Amino acid sequence: MNGTGILPDPDIDSAPYWEALGDGRFEIQHCADCGNWTWPPRPICSGCHGENMRWDAVSGVGEVHGWVVTHQVYAPSLAPLVPYTIVLARIAEQDDILIPGRFMSDMQVYQGMPLRAVPTNVGGGLGVLEWKAAPAP
Amino acid sequence: MATRFPRSQSAIVGIGCTEYTKGSGVSTFTLAARAVKAAVADAGLTLADVDGLCTFGPDDTIAPNYLAQALGISSMNYFLDHKLGGSVAISIVSQAALAVSAGVANCVVVYRALNGRSNKGGIGNSKSAPRTLKAIWDVQFKMPSGYVAAAQELAMAASTHMARYGTTSEDFGRIAVLSRRNALDNERAVMRKPLTMDDYMDSRWIVEPFRLFDCCFETDGAVALVICAADRASDSPHRPVNIRGAAWGGGVNLVNNGRTDMAESPANLIAPKVYSAAGLGPSDIDFAEFYDCFSYTVLSQIEGYGFAEAGGVPDMLRDGCFDRATGELPVNTHGGLLSEGYMQGLNHVYEAVEQIRGDAGMRQVRRRDTALVTGQLGYLSGYSSAVVLEGA
Repeated sequence: MNGTGILPDPDIDSAPYWEALGDGRFEIQHCADCGNWTWPPRPICSGCHGENMRWDAVSGVGEVHGWVVTHQVYAPSLAPLVPYTIVLARIAEQDDILIPGRFMSDMQVYQGMPLRAVPTNVGGGLGVLEWKAAPAP
Repeated sequence: MATRFPRSQSAIVGIGCTEYTKGSGVSTFTLAARAVKAAVADAGLTLADVDGLCTFGPDDTIAPNYLAQALGISSMNYFLDHKLGGSVAISIVSQAALAVSAGVANCVVVYRALNGRSNKGGIGNSKSAPRTLKAIWDVQFKMPSGYVAAAQELAMAASTHMARYGTTSEDFGRIAVLSRRNALDNERAVMRKPLTMDDYMDSRWIVEPFRLFDCCFETDGAVALVICAADRASDSPHRPVNIRGAAWGGGVNLVNNGRTDMAESPANLIAPKVYSAAGLGPSDIDFAEFYDCFSYTVLSQIEGYGFAEAGGVPDMLRDGCFDRATGELPVNTHGGLLSEGYMQGLNHVYEAVEQIRGDAGMRQVRRRDTALVTGQLGYLSGYSSAVVLEGA
Protein backbone atom coordinates (compact mmCIF):
# COMPACT_ATOMS: atom_id res chain seq x y z
CA MET A 1 0.00 0.00 0.00
CA ASN A 2 1.63 3.24 -1.07
CA GLY A 3 -0.40 5.33 1.30
CA THR A 4 -0.62 8.66 -0.50
CA GLY A 5 -4.39 8.55 -0.30
CA ILE A 6 -4.55 9.89 -3.84
CA LEU A 7 -5.89 7.08 -5.99
CA PRO A 8 -5.40 6.64 -9.72
CA ASP A 9 -8.26 7.97 -11.83
CA PRO A 10 -8.44 5.55 -14.76
CA ASP A 11 -10.02 6.47 -18.08
CA ILE A 12 -10.47 4.57 -21.33
CA ASP A 13 -6.84 5.24 -22.31
CA SER A 14 -5.15 4.63 -18.98
CA ALA A 15 -7.19 1.88 -17.31
CA PRO A 16 -5.00 -1.03 -18.55
CA TYR A 17 -1.93 0.65 -17.03
CA TRP A 18 -3.40 1.09 -13.56
CA GLU A 19 -5.09 -2.33 -13.63
CA ALA A 20 -1.86 -4.12 -14.58
CA LEU A 21 -0.04 -2.40 -11.71
CA GLY A 22 -2.84 -3.52 -9.40
CA ASP A 23 -2.16 -7.07 -10.59
CA GLY A 24 1.59 -6.74 -9.94
CA ARG A 25 2.58 -6.18 -13.57
CA PHE A 26 4.45 -3.15 -15.01
CA GLU A 27 3.18 -2.78 -18.57
CA ILE A 28 3.24 0.17 -20.93
CA GLN A 29 2.13 0.72 -24.49
CA HIS A 30 4.31 -0.79 -27.23
CA CYS A 31 3.72 -0.02 -30.90
CA ALA A 32 3.13 -3.12 -33.01
CA ASP A 33 4.10 -1.17 -36.12
CA CYS A 34 7.25 0.76 -35.19
CA GLY A 35 8.33 -0.76 -31.88
CA ASN A 36 8.28 2.53 -30.00
CA TRP A 37 7.32 2.53 -26.31
CA THR A 38 4.84 5.22 -25.17
CA TRP A 39 4.23 6.53 -21.67
CA PRO A 40 2.05 8.09 -20.19
CA PRO A 41 -0.82 6.05 -21.66
CA ARG A 42 -2.45 7.76 -24.62
CA PRO A 43 -4.22 6.68 -27.78
CA ILE A 44 -1.47 7.55 -30.25
CA CYS A 45 2.03 6.09 -30.66
CA SER A 46 4.55 8.84 -30.01
CA GLY A 47 6.87 7.29 -32.61
CA CYS A 48 4.73 6.78 -35.73
CA HIS A 49 1.43 8.33 -34.55
CA GLY A 50 -0.54 5.18 -35.32
CA GLU A 51 -3.09 3.50 -33.08
CA ASN A 52 -1.76 -0.05 -33.24
CA MET A 53 -0.36 -0.39 -29.74
CA ARG A 54 -0.18 -3.38 -27.42
CA TRP A 55 0.29 -3.45 -23.66
CA ASP A 56 3.63 -5.17 -23.06
CA ALA A 57 5.65 -5.81 -19.92
CA VAL A 58 8.83 -3.85 -19.44
CA SER A 59 11.82 -5.13 -17.48
CA GLY A 60 11.32 -2.89 -14.47
CA VAL A 61 14.96 -1.86 -14.72
CA GLY A 62 15.56 1.88 -14.47
CA GLU A 63 17.88 4.56 -13.19
CA VAL A 64 17.47 7.86 -11.39
CA HIS A 65 17.36 10.95 -13.57
CA GLY A 66 16.09 13.42 -10.93
CA TRP A 67 14.77 13.31 -7.39
CA VAL A 68 13.08 15.58 -4.87
CA VAL A 69 12.33 15.32 -1.17
CA THR A 70 8.94 16.81 -0.34
CA HIS A 71 8.58 18.46 3.07
CA GLN A 72 5.57 20.68 2.37
CA VAL A 73 2.17 19.07 2.93
CA TYR A 74 0.28 19.48 -0.35
CA ALA A 75 -2.80 17.48 0.60
CA PRO A 76 -4.12 16.29 3.97
CA SER A 77 -3.55 12.64 3.05
CA LEU A 78 0.13 13.36 2.40
CA ALA A 79 0.78 14.74 5.89
CA PRO A 80 1.81 11.39 7.46
CA LEU A 81 4.35 10.80 4.66
CA VAL A 82 6.50 13.92 4.78
CA PRO A 83 9.34 14.04 4.13
CA TYR A 84 9.06 11.65 1.20
CA THR A 85 11.30 11.14 -1.83
CA ILE A 86 10.10 10.99 -5.42
CA VAL A 87 12.42 9.86 -8.19
CA LEU A 88 12.10 10.51 -11.89
CA ALA A 89 13.20 7.17 -13.31
CA ARG A 90 14.46 6.54 -16.82
CA ILE A 91 13.44 3.06 -17.92
CA ALA A 92 15.94 0.74 -19.57
CA GLU A 93 13.78 0.19 -22.65
CA GLN A 94 13.79 3.76 -23.99
CA ASP A 95 15.80 6.90 -23.09
CA ASP A 96 12.96 9.40 -23.32
CA ILE A 97 10.58 7.64 -20.96
CA LEU A 98 10.87 9.15 -17.50
CA ILE A 99 8.40 7.83 -14.92
CA PRO A 100 8.05 9.39 -11.48
CA GLY A 101 7.25 7.42 -8.39
CA ARG A 102 7.92 7.28 -4.68
CA PHE A 103 11.35 5.99 -3.75
CA MET A 104 10.87 3.33 -1.08
CA SER A 105 14.47 2.45 -0.11
CA ASP A 106 16.15 4.16 2.83
CA MET A 107 19.23 5.22 0.88
CA GLN A 108 20.81 8.41 -0.41
CA VAL A 109 19.68 8.96 -3.99
CA TYR A 110 21.99 10.03 -6.82
CA GLN A 111 21.64 10.54 -10.56
CA GLY A 112 22.28 7.26 -12.33
CA MET A 113 21.37 5.15 -9.27
CA PRO A 114 20.05 1.77 -10.45
CA LEU A 115 16.37 1.23 -9.73
CA ARG A 116 13.86 -1.55 -9.75
CA ALA A 117 10.17 -0.92 -10.43
CA VAL A 118 7.71 -2.10 -7.79
CA PRO A 119 4.04 -2.29 -8.85
CA THR A 120 2.01 -1.71 -5.71
CA ASN A 121 -1.68 -2.53 -5.26
CA VAL A 122 -3.69 0.34 -3.81
CA GLY A 123 -7.08 -1.35 -3.72
CA GLY A 124 -10.01 -1.44 -6.08
CA GLY A 125 -8.04 -3.54 -8.56
CA LEU A 126 -5.66 -0.65 -9.23
CA GLY A 127 -2.00 -0.08 -8.50
CA VAL A 128 0.71 2.56 -8.64
CA LEU A 129 4.37 2.33 -9.53
CA GLU A 130 7.01 2.72 -6.85
CA TRP A 131 10.78 2.46 -7.16
CA LYS A 132 13.41 0.80 -5.03
CA ALA A 133 17.19 0.85 -5.21
CA ALA A 134 18.57 -2.09 -7.22
CA PRO A 135 22.01 -3.66 -6.93
CA ALA A 136 24.38 -2.14 -9.50
CA PRO A 137 24.53 -4.35 -12.63
CA MET B 1 9.54 27.08 -39.49
CA ALA B 2 9.69 30.84 -39.70
CA THR B 3 6.61 32.71 -38.62
CA ARG B 4 5.47 36.21 -39.45
CA PHE B 5 4.47 37.91 -36.25
CA PRO B 6 3.16 41.43 -37.02
CA ARG B 7 6.35 43.11 -35.82
CA SER B 8 5.82 46.33 -33.85
CA GLN B 9 2.31 46.73 -35.21
CA SER B 10 0.79 46.87 -31.74
CA ALA B 11 1.71 48.71 -28.57
CA ILE B 12 1.06 48.76 -24.85
CA VAL B 13 -0.28 52.25 -24.14
CA GLY B 14 -1.66 51.89 -20.63
CA ILE B 15 -0.81 50.02 -17.44
CA GLY B 16 -2.72 49.71 -14.19
CA CYS B 17 -2.56 47.70 -11.01
CA THR B 18 -4.03 47.49 -7.56
CA GLU B 19 -2.06 47.26 -4.36
CA TYR B 20 -0.43 43.85 -3.96
CA THR B 21 -1.26 42.45 -0.52
CA LYS B 22 -1.69 39.33 1.55
CA GLY B 23 -5.36 40.14 2.06
CA SER B 24 -7.20 42.49 -0.28
CA GLY B 25 -10.48 42.42 1.65
CA VAL B 26 -12.35 42.73 -1.64
CA SER B 27 -13.44 40.29 -4.33
CA THR B 28 -11.42 39.19 -7.34
CA PHE B 29 -14.09 40.96 -9.41
CA THR B 30 -13.36 44.24 -7.59
CA LEU B 31 -9.62 43.89 -8.10
CA ALA B 32 -10.08 43.27 -11.83
CA ALA B 33 -12.34 46.30 -12.25
CA ARG B 34 -9.93 48.57 -10.39
CA ALA B 35 -6.89 47.49 -12.41
CA VAL B 36 -8.72 47.79 -15.73
CA LYS B 37 -10.00 51.27 -14.89
CA ALA B 38 -6.52 52.35 -13.82
CA ALA B 39 -4.94 51.05 -17.02
CA VAL B 40 -7.54 52.73 -19.24
CA ALA B 41 -7.07 56.03 -17.41
CA ASP B 42 -3.27 55.69 -17.71
CA ALA B 43 -3.72 55.34 -21.47
CA GLY B 44 -5.72 58.57 -21.59
CA LEU B 45 -8.77 56.62 -22.77
CA THR B 46 -12.22 55.86 -21.43
CA LEU B 47 -13.98 52.53 -20.95
CA ALA B 48 -16.05 53.39 -24.02
CA ASP B 49 -12.88 53.00 -26.09
CA VAL B 50 -12.37 49.40 -24.95
CA ASP B 51 -13.67 46.65 -27.25
CA GLY B 52 -11.73 43.63 -26.10
CA LEU B 53 -10.90 41.89 -22.83
CA CYS B 54 -8.48 39.03 -22.24
CA THR B 55 -7.58 37.16 -19.10
CA PHE B 56 -6.12 33.87 -17.95
CA GLY B 57 -5.92 31.67 -14.90
CA PRO B 58 -6.93 28.13 -13.93
CA ASP B 59 -9.28 29.41 -11.25
CA ASP B 60 -9.90 32.47 -9.05
CA THR B 61 -10.66 34.80 -11.91
CA ILE B 62 -13.49 36.89 -13.26
CA ALA B 63 -14.43 36.21 -16.86
CA PRO B 64 -14.35 38.92 -19.57
CA ASN B 65 -18.10 38.85 -20.17
CA TYR B 66 -18.98 39.65 -16.56
CA LEU B 67 -16.37 42.35 -16.35
CA ALA B 68 -17.58 43.88 -19.62
CA GLN B 69 -21.15 43.98 -18.34
CA ALA B 70 -20.08 45.59 -15.08
CA LEU B 71 -17.91 48.20 -16.77
CA GLY B 72 -20.46 49.03 -19.47
CA ILE B 73 -18.31 47.71 -22.30
CA SER B 74 -21.17 47.03 -24.66
CA SER B 75 -19.35 46.46 -27.93
CA MET B 76 -16.97 43.57 -27.35
CA ASN B 77 -15.13 42.61 -30.51
CA TYR B 78 -12.60 40.27 -28.93
CA PHE B 79 -12.22 38.22 -25.78
CA LEU B 80 -10.03 35.44 -24.46
CA ASP B 81 -10.52 33.52 -21.23
CA HIS B 82 -7.57 31.16 -20.99
CA LYS B 83 -7.71 28.39 -18.39
CA LEU B 84 -4.01 28.04 -17.75
CA GLY B 85 -1.44 29.73 -15.56
CA GLY B 86 2.03 31.19 -15.96
CA SER B 87 2.78 29.45 -19.22
CA VAL B 88 0.25 31.73 -20.95
CA ALA B 89 1.05 34.90 -18.98
CA ILE B 90 2.72 36.36 -22.04
CA SER B 91 0.81 34.66 -24.85
CA ILE B 92 -2.32 36.42 -23.61
CA VAL B 93 -0.56 39.72 -24.39
CA SER B 94 0.50 38.40 -27.78
CA GLN B 95 -3.03 37.27 -28.61
CA ALA B 96 -4.24 40.80 -27.91
CA ALA B 97 -1.45 42.09 -30.14
CA LEU B 98 -2.69 39.86 -32.96
CA ALA B 99 -6.25 41.05 -32.49
CA VAL B 100 -5.45 44.75 -32.72
CA SER B 101 -2.88 44.41 -35.50
CA ALA B 102 -5.36 42.37 -37.55
CA GLY B 103 -8.00 45.02 -36.91
CA VAL B 104 -10.59 42.76 -35.35
CA ALA B 105 -10.45 44.93 -32.23
CA ASN B 106 -9.26 48.45 -31.61
CA CYS B 107 -8.42 48.51 -27.95
CA VAL B 108 -7.92 45.35 -25.92
CA VAL B 109 -7.34 45.26 -22.18
CA VAL B 110 -5.44 42.27 -20.81
CA TYR B 111 -5.84 41.63 -17.09
CA ARG B 112 -5.12 39.14 -14.34
CA ALA B 113 -6.88 39.47 -11.00
CA LEU B 114 -6.68 37.03 -8.11
CA ASN B 115 -7.03 36.73 -4.38
CA GLY B 116 -4.25 34.18 -4.46
CA ARG B 117 -3.40 34.57 -0.80
CA SER B 118 -6.71 35.14 0.92
CA ASN B 119 -8.90 32.95 -1.28
CA LYS B 120 -8.50 29.47 0.13
CA GLY B 121 -9.29 27.97 -3.24
CA GLY B 122 -6.34 29.75 -4.81
CA ILE B 123 -3.50 28.35 -6.83
CA GLY B 124 -0.85 26.53 -4.88
CA ASN B 125 -2.96 26.37 -1.75
CA SER B 126 -2.29 23.15 0.07
CA LYS B 127 -5.94 22.15 0.11
CA SER B 128 -6.54 22.74 -3.56
CA ALA B 129 -3.25 21.84 -5.25
CA PRO B 130 -4.34 18.41 -6.49
CA ARG B 131 -7.60 19.79 -7.84
CA THR B 132 -5.93 22.80 -9.47
CA LEU B 133 -3.22 20.85 -11.24
CA LYS B 134 -5.64 18.20 -12.42
CA ALA B 135 -6.47 20.52 -15.29
CA ILE B 136 -3.09 19.53 -16.76
CA TRP B 137 -3.48 16.18 -18.46
CA ASP B 138 -0.31 14.39 -17.42
CA VAL B 139 -0.68 15.32 -13.75
CA GLN B 140 -3.04 12.34 -13.38
CA PHE B 141 0.01 10.11 -13.77
CA LYS B 142 1.90 11.87 -10.97
CA MET B 143 -0.74 12.49 -8.33
CA PRO B 144 -0.93 8.95 -6.90
CA SER B 145 2.79 9.27 -6.08
CA GLY B 146 2.19 12.45 -4.08
CA TYR B 147 3.69 14.42 -6.97
CA VAL B 148 1.05 17.14 -7.11
CA ALA B 149 2.61 20.61 -6.93
CA ALA B 150 4.49 22.93 -9.26
CA ALA B 151 7.25 23.20 -6.65
CA GLN B 152 7.92 19.47 -6.97
CA GLU B 153 7.96 19.61 -10.77
CA LEU B 154 10.44 22.48 -10.92
CA ALA B 155 12.55 21.13 -8.05
CA MET B 156 12.83 17.90 -10.04
CA ALA B 157 14.21 19.82 -13.01
CA ALA B 158 16.55 21.74 -10.70
CA SER B 159 17.87 18.46 -9.28
CA THR B 160 18.87 17.29 -12.75
CA HIS B 161 20.69 20.57 -13.37
CA MET B 162 22.58 20.18 -10.08
CA ALA B 163 23.58 16.65 -11.04
CA ARG B 164 24.74 17.59 -14.51
CA TYR B 165 26.43 20.95 -13.90
CA GLY B 166 27.22 21.01 -10.20
CA THR B 167 24.78 23.86 -9.61
CA THR B 168 24.40 24.51 -5.88
CA SER B 169 21.91 25.81 -3.35
CA GLU B 170 23.99 29.00 -3.11
CA ASP B 171 23.44 29.58 -6.83
CA PHE B 172 19.68 29.43 -6.34
CA GLY B 173 20.10 31.59 -3.24
CA ARG B 174 21.85 34.31 -5.24
CA ILE B 175 18.75 34.60 -7.42
CA ALA B 176 16.48 34.88 -4.38
CA VAL B 177 18.73 37.53 -2.84
CA LEU B 178 18.97 39.48 -6.12
CA SER B 179 15.20 39.50 -6.46
CA ARG B 180 14.72 40.76 -2.92
CA ARG B 181 17.33 43.47 -3.39
CA ASN B 182 15.37 44.74 -6.39
CA ALA B 183 12.11 44.62 -4.45
CA LEU B 184 13.50 46.84 -1.71
CA ASP B 185 13.27 49.75 -4.17
CA ASN B 186 9.80 48.83 -5.36
CA GLU B 187 6.86 50.38 -3.54
CA ARG B 188 4.54 47.76 -5.11
CA ALA B 189 6.50 44.82 -3.68
CA VAL B 190 4.96 42.72 -0.93
CA MET B 191 8.33 41.41 0.31
CA ARG B 192 10.53 44.37 1.28
CA LYS B 193 12.51 42.96 4.17
CA PRO B 194 16.18 42.52 3.25
CA LEU B 195 17.20 38.93 2.55
CA THR B 196 20.75 37.66 3.05
CA MET B 197 22.36 34.45 1.87
CA ASP B 198 22.36 33.29 5.49
CA ASP B 199 18.61 33.92 5.70
CA TYR B 200 18.22 31.93 2.52
CA MET B 201 20.34 28.98 3.68
CA ASP B 202 18.56 28.95 7.04
CA SER B 203 15.08 28.84 5.52
CA ARG B 204 13.11 25.62 5.70
CA TRP B 205 12.87 23.02 2.99
CA ILE B 206 9.76 23.09 0.86
CA VAL B 207 10.78 20.46 -1.69
CA GLU B 208 14.51 19.67 -1.72
CA PRO B 209 16.41 21.19 -3.45
CA PHE B 210 14.04 24.16 -2.98
CA ARG B 211 13.94 26.12 0.26
CA LEU B 212 11.28 28.60 1.27
CA PHE B 213 12.93 31.52 -0.52
CA ASP B 214 13.24 29.59 -3.78
CA CYS B 215 9.46 29.74 -4.02
CA CYS B 216 7.15 32.59 -4.90
CA PHE B 217 4.20 33.27 -2.64
CA GLU B 218 0.49 33.78 -3.18
CA THR B 219 -0.62 37.39 -3.49
CA ASP B 220 -3.89 39.32 -3.76
CA GLY B 221 -4.09 41.94 -6.47
CA ALA B 222 -4.63 42.69 -10.14
CA VAL B 223 -2.73 44.02 -13.16
CA ALA B 224 -4.08 45.32 -16.47
CA LEU B 225 -2.53 46.44 -19.76
CA VAL B 226 -4.10 48.42 -22.61
CA ILE B 227 -3.06 47.28 -26.08
CA CYS B 228 -3.90 48.99 -29.38
CA ALA B 229 -2.54 49.15 -32.91
CA ALA B 230 0.81 50.95 -33.09
CA ASP B 231 -0.52 53.57 -35.52
CA ARG B 232 -3.11 54.58 -32.93
CA ALA B 233 -0.55 54.78 -30.14
CA SER B 234 0.91 58.16 -31.06
CA ASP B 235 -1.85 59.98 -29.14
CA SER B 236 -0.85 58.19 -25.96
CA PRO B 237 0.21 60.35 -23.00
CA HIS B 238 3.16 58.00 -22.39
CA ARG B 239 5.92 56.57 -24.54
CA PRO B 240 4.23 53.69 -26.37
CA VAL B 241 5.81 50.29 -25.85
CA ASN B 242 5.73 48.31 -29.07
CA ILE B 243 5.19 44.57 -29.07
CA ARG B 244 8.10 43.93 -31.38
CA GLY B 245 8.02 40.15 -31.46
CA ALA B 246 6.34 37.30 -29.69
CA ALA B 247 6.23 33.53 -29.67
CA TRP B 248 4.27 30.94 -27.81
CA GLY B 249 4.41 27.20 -28.06
CA GLY B 250 5.84 24.00 -26.78
CA GLY B 251 7.98 23.03 -23.87
CA VAL B 252 8.87 19.89 -22.02
CA ASN B 253 6.93 17.69 -19.66
CA LEU B 254 6.44 13.98 -19.10
CA VAL B 255 4.99 13.70 -22.59
CA ASN B 256 8.42 14.55 -23.80
CA ASN B 257 8.70 12.79 -27.15
CA GLY B 258 12.42 12.39 -27.46
CA ARG B 259 13.68 14.76 -24.77
CA THR B 260 15.95 12.82 -22.48
CA ASP B 261 17.53 15.35 -20.14
CA MET B 262 15.41 17.60 -17.95
CA ALA B 263 18.51 19.74 -17.22
CA GLU B 264 18.21 21.28 -20.67
CA SER B 265 16.21 24.47 -20.52
CA PRO B 266 12.82 24.10 -22.18
CA ALA B 267 13.16 27.80 -23.00
CA ASN B 268 15.63 26.85 -25.73
CA LEU B 269 12.64 25.63 -27.74
CA ILE B 270 10.92 29.01 -27.82
CA ALA B 271 13.95 31.33 -27.75
CA PRO B 272 14.81 31.13 -31.46
CA LYS B 273 11.16 31.76 -32.31
CA VAL B 274 10.79 34.91 -30.24
CA TYR B 275 14.10 36.30 -31.49
CA SER B 276 13.15 35.52 -35.07
CA ALA B 277 9.78 37.20 -34.60
CA ALA B 278 11.50 40.29 -33.20
CA GLY B 279 14.41 40.30 -35.66
CA LEU B 280 16.74 40.64 -32.69
CA GLY B 281 19.05 38.44 -30.63
CA PRO B 282 20.12 38.20 -27.00
CA SER B 283 22.75 40.93 -27.41
CA ASP B 284 20.00 43.42 -28.35
CA ILE B 285 18.10 42.90 -25.09
CA ASP B 286 18.66 45.65 -22.49
CA PHE B 287 16.96 43.90 -19.58
CA ALA B 288 14.81 40.84 -18.95
CA GLU B 289 11.87 39.95 -16.74
CA PHE B 290 11.89 36.15 -16.44
CA TYR B 291 8.98 34.14 -15.10
CA ASP B 292 10.18 33.18 -11.64
CA CYS B 293 7.69 30.97 -9.88
CA PHE B 294 10.89 29.43 -8.48
CA SER B 295 14.49 30.65 -8.39
CA TYR B 296 15.70 27.88 -10.67
CA THR B 297 13.49 28.98 -13.53
CA VAL B 298 15.47 32.24 -13.77
CA LEU B 299 18.73 30.33 -14.07
CA SER B 300 17.29 27.97 -16.65
CA GLN B 301 15.87 30.80 -18.74
CA ILE B 302 19.12 32.79 -18.71
CA GLU B 303 20.57 29.71 -20.41
CA GLY B 304 17.61 28.98 -22.63
CA TYR B 305 17.23 32.51 -23.97
CA GLY B 306 20.90 32.60 -24.92
CA PHE B 307 22.49 34.82 -22.27
CA ALA B 308 24.77 32.09 -20.92
CA GLU B 309 26.20 28.73 -21.87
CA ALA B 310 24.51 25.79 -20.17
CA GLY B 311 26.01 25.60 -16.70
CA GLY B 312 27.50 29.09 -16.98
CA VAL B 313 25.00 31.07 -14.93
CA PRO B 314 26.50 30.52 -11.45
CA ASP B 315 29.77 32.27 -12.39
CA MET B 316 27.84 35.14 -13.96
CA LEU B 317 25.69 35.49 -10.84
CA ARG B 318 28.83 35.73 -8.72
CA ASP B 319 30.18 38.38 -11.12
CA GLY B 320 27.03 40.51 -10.80
CA CYS B 321 26.07 40.18 -14.47
CA PHE B 322 22.36 40.34 -13.65
CA ASP B 323 22.45 43.13 -11.05
CA ARG B 324 20.10 46.00 -11.73
CA ALA B 325 22.49 48.89 -11.33
CA THR B 326 25.70 47.58 -12.87
CA GLY B 327 25.01 44.27 -14.59
CA GLU B 328 25.07 43.78 -18.34
CA LEU B 329 21.61 42.17 -18.22
CA PRO B 330 19.48 43.37 -15.31
CA VAL B 331 16.85 40.75 -14.55
CA ASN B 332 13.59 40.88 -12.60
CA THR B 333 14.12 44.52 -11.79
CA HIS B 334 10.97 44.72 -9.66
CA GLY B 335 11.72 41.65 -7.55
CA GLY B 336 9.66 39.30 -9.69
CA LEU B 337 7.19 36.77 -8.45
CA LEU B 338 9.74 35.84 -5.77
CA SER B 339 9.55 39.24 -4.05
CA GLU B 340 7.15 41.67 -5.73
CA GLY B 341 4.18 39.37 -5.79
CA TYR B 342 2.43 36.62 -7.67
CA MET B 343 0.36 38.27 -10.35
CA GLN B 344 1.19 35.14 -12.30
CA GLY B 345 3.59 36.96 -14.62
CA LEU B 346 1.51 39.85 -15.90
CA ASN B 347 3.26 42.07 -13.34
CA HIS B 348 6.48 41.42 -15.28
CA VAL B 349 4.98 43.19 -18.31
CA TYR B 350 3.86 46.09 -16.11
CA GLU B 351 7.41 46.49 -14.81
CA ALA B 352 8.95 46.29 -18.28
CA VAL B 353 6.63 49.02 -19.54
CA GLU B 354 7.47 51.26 -16.59
CA GLN B 355 11.20 50.73 -17.21
CA ILE B 356 10.93 51.42 -20.95
CA ARG B 357 8.97 54.60 -20.23
CA GLY B 358 11.72 55.69 -17.85
CA ASP B 359 9.26 55.83 -14.96
CA ALA B 360 10.84 53.21 -12.68
CA GLY B 361 12.31 55.68 -10.19
CA MET B 362 14.96 54.17 -7.96
CA ARG B 363 14.75 50.95 -9.96
CA GLN B 364 15.37 52.58 -13.31
CA VAL B 365 17.81 50.65 -15.48
CA ARG B 366 20.21 52.66 -17.67
CA ARG B 367 19.71 50.81 -20.94
CA ARG B 368 15.97 50.61 -21.07
CA ASP B 369 14.67 50.48 -24.65
CA THR B 370 14.32 46.75 -25.30
CA ALA B 371 13.08 44.08 -22.91
CA LEU B 372 12.52 40.34 -23.01
CA VAL B 373 9.55 39.26 -20.89
CA THR B 374 8.69 35.61 -20.46
CA GLY B 375 6.01 33.27 -19.17
CA GLN B 376 6.64 29.99 -17.38
CA LEU B 377 9.53 28.37 -19.22
CA GLY B 378 7.76 25.32 -20.58
CA TYR B 379 7.40 22.65 -17.89
CA LEU B 380 4.05 21.57 -16.40
CA SER B 381 1.51 22.25 -19.14
CA GLY B 382 4.30 22.02 -21.71
CA TYR B 383 3.59 25.50 -23.05
CA SER B 384 5.64 28.64 -22.83
CA SER B 385 5.38 32.21 -24.10
CA ALA B 386 7.69 35.19 -24.53
CA VAL B 387 7.66 38.70 -25.93
CA VAL B 388 10.19 41.34 -26.93
CA LEU B 389 9.01 44.84 -26.00
CA GLU B 390 10.57 47.98 -27.41
CA GLY B 391 10.03 51.65 -26.71
CA ALA B 392 8.62 53.55 -29.67
